[in-house]
Amino acid sequence: MSASAPVAEMAPLELLEGSTAIARAAILSNCRFFAGYPMSPFTGLLENMAKLMPAAGGVCINAESEIEGVNMVIGAASTGARAATGSCGQGIALMQEAVAEAALNETPLVIFNMARNQQDYFQCTRGGGWGDYRTLTLAPKDVPEAVEHTQLLFHLADKYRAPVILYGDPLIAQTRVGVRLAAPDLEPLPAKDWALDGTMGGTGKSRQVWTWAMGKVTDPGLGPDGHWRAVADKFEMIAAAEQRWESAYEQEAETLVIAFGSAAKFTEYVVDQLRAEGHSVGWFRPITLWPFPGAALAEATRSSRRVLVYELNAGQMLDDVRQFVHDRDTVRFIGGVSIHESGLSYGPLLDAPVLRDRILAAMAQPTER
Amino acid sequence: MSVINTQTAPTGPAQKVAEFHTPLILGEHGLCPGCGEPVALRILLETLEELNLVQRTIGVVGHGCYGSFVRIMDIDVLQCLHGRAPACATGIKRMRPDTAVFTLQGDGDMVNEGLQEVIHAAARGENVTCILLNNGVFGDTGGQQTATTVLGQRTKTSLEGRDAEQHGYPIRIADIVASLDGAGYVARGTVNTAREVMRTKRLIHNAFESQMAGEGLSLVEILTMCPTGWFVTAPDGPDYLDSSLKAAYPLGVLRSRSAEAN
Amino acid sequence: MLDSTSEHELLILGIGGQGIQLIGKTLAQAATASGRHAMLAAEYGGEMRGGPSQATVVIGERPLRSLPILASAGSAIVMHDRFCGAVPERLRPGGLLVVNTSIVDPAAAGESYRVGGLPATDIARELGKPQTAGFIMLGAFNALTGLVTHEQLVEAMRSLLPPYRIEHADSNAAALLAGSDAARELELSAAVAA
Repeated sequence: MSASAPVAEMAPLELLEGSTAIARAAILSNCRFFAGYPMSPFTGLLENMAKLMPAAGGVCINAESEIEGVNMVIGAASTGARAATGSCGQGIALMQEAVAEAALNETPLVIFNMARNQQDYFQCTRGGGWGDYRTLTLAPKDVPEAVEHTQLLFHLADKYRAPVILYGDPLIAQTRVGVRLAAPDLEPLPAKDWALDGTMGGTGKSRQVWTWAMGKVTDPGLGPDGHWRAVADKFEMIAAAEQRWESAYEQEAETLVIAFGSAAKFTEYVVDQLRAEGHSVGWFRPITLWPFPGAALAEATRSSRRVLVYELNAGQMLDDVRQFVHDRDTVRFIGGVSIHESGLSYGPLLDAPVLRDRILAAMAQPTER
Repeated sequence: MSVINTQTAPTGPAQKVAEFHTPLILGEHGLCPGCGEPVALRILLETLEELNLVQRTIGVVGHGCYGSFVRIMDIDVLQCLHGRAPACATGIKRMRPDTAVFTLQGDGDMVNEGLQEVIHAAARGENVTCILLNNGVFGDTGGQQTATTVLGQRTKTSLEGRDAEQHGYPIRIADIVASLDGAGYVARGTVNTAREVMRTKRLIHNAFESQMAGEGLSLVEILTMCPTGWFVTAPDGPDYLDSSLKAAYPLGVLRSRSAEAN
Repeated sequence: MLDSTSEHELLILGIGGQGIQLIGKTLAQAATASGRHAMLAAEYGGEMRGGPSQATVVIGERPLRSLPILASAGSAIVMHDRFCGAVPERLRPGGLLVVNTSIVDPAAAGESYRVGGLPATDIARELGKPQTAGFIMLGAFNALTGLVTHEQLVEAMRSLLPPYRIEHADSNAAALLAGSDAARELELSAAVAA
């Protein structure tokens, strides 16, 4: 399944910085609680929320630490509110215990990883928390897609009662692009009868949000064994149901370039350029980093002679590509660690001419097939 | 102390008194004989009943022996990460401002792991009530030293007794919170005698009234007995509390917004 | 095949204090308000004045495929050559290059581009509003390319002014007009194919 949520065509285009567009899209999705700690390039999203939330009847707290921020969000979400936090990878590293907690006590929340580069792929897809859980992660390629994904994530968080991640970056946070903003049009979800509001106190059926799910002595729950098994089963189900990807020319192309997020947009552009010059090349991009669209990748690479992985890190998505690609011997890594001198954004490797040269160099090498 | 005759069954009325408890307590606790925490739970829940808050209360329970109370308290509850209860309570109260929100935390939870959470929530003036069960040990993990262990107190990680030079000094968290402008009501009580139990129940009552009046963060620190963690017998718990924790943590009201206003 | 004329890419280069970001924003806003797709990306040094300042604007009829780090551009405005020289590295041969001749020597641009220049800094000074040099260049550039209407440009300029700067609206509008008028006198050098 490669569809993304439809966007209302009637809304006018507005030129907005990504951080602003994401904040407004979240509020249009009924997000009413946001807490976070400043850290570049997430800070713009926090500032936008501070500005926009009060007028929307919501709450934005500049938390005193990342850990406090994510735990505030767990509290807010446990009452049934749509709530979100964010940071860049470094701050999300601090939140890992809480992310696992939210996965295991089934609290929906959206986490905006406005990352500094692509080096947080492992963090999103493998996680650094405890226990058997996964975090559904969407990686938009540009600002308009980030808007779409933001709204989809609030929906999926509620649908599956789980923490979910948007993988953004400095280009998405800071570039201004014309976007259309509207309330999302997604299938209605059941009411949150599990949410804490105090009203069941004293009835014998008071509610609990508890990782251990032990229930009450008068009304026992599954306990950690049954509950954590059920949660693991839920993530298996999500893995099967929520894979998203997009690709072009994979049927006929000799060379297939794999990329995610902003790097995928650069890849599409360069591949178009190379095809115009007569080269046999295509692209494939996972939209969900987890669940990784492995079967789709296997199918797409069935007749590829070269599978080139382009990501701005030392090779993280590479592991997933190697796991699912039709023929491992076709895989070549053409990405790398590339950091701006400030440490806060991408270095020179994220650039169309550089990518073009790397693809051409790889295509110049003979293959076994 | 008189010796109880165990040859004959208790009389009907005596049995009724022993079994009487608020219906909000759904069953027996499994904590050690002589533990002060179940007493604190009882007076907390009785207070919620007396203030008519039961059907709009949300509790946030941390990690410790008292964590098992989640199974026996008939209140909507979020069981949260060690130390983080005041942050979770913040999110809950901001989204449900008409509810009564409390945290239930031990000293290891609040003053070790969660020191910044409670201070920041108090500074922000969040309208929640934090209940601190302070027995000076990490009971649930077997009795290690915490930030509130008093000088001279033996624990598994201060076997000769806490020594200032080796282990530093205890933190009087209630005093710190009472110094913050966002705090509305801060008090310290104990449950080692019947009289103190009644007094402490009054403090809890005041704290919730302060919350519902929007005065800021309320904190009630309750010194509780932990005979197991203190290496004393259950009957000796109350006296040991008097001679150790109570000396280090003076009882009384440390801050009261409404008292200052009057 | 990517049709390079379906998206218009513009590089704007200069130094901090010349209004580089503002003129990029004005053009992008004008295009957006007219219902077209636009993108604006910026790069600047840490200093408020005097450091390098670059903006890129892309305008198209459909959702944009151009990249936030532009691969190449079909046009450029150069307000100051201190950091980039007269010709931006990514300007495509045959592209349109409009330079601020008060500072930049158009002869340095060579023969591969369609070059036009106007002394924007001097014109702005004559108008008594030296800080509007950027709008003069923008008015000229837009008159040469017709990317948006002059009215749309003025409207975008007004809509972007914060309340505490609203008194500049008229002088900014005058600068846009002066640039547009100057463009009529401009003779673009022909690009000589490489």
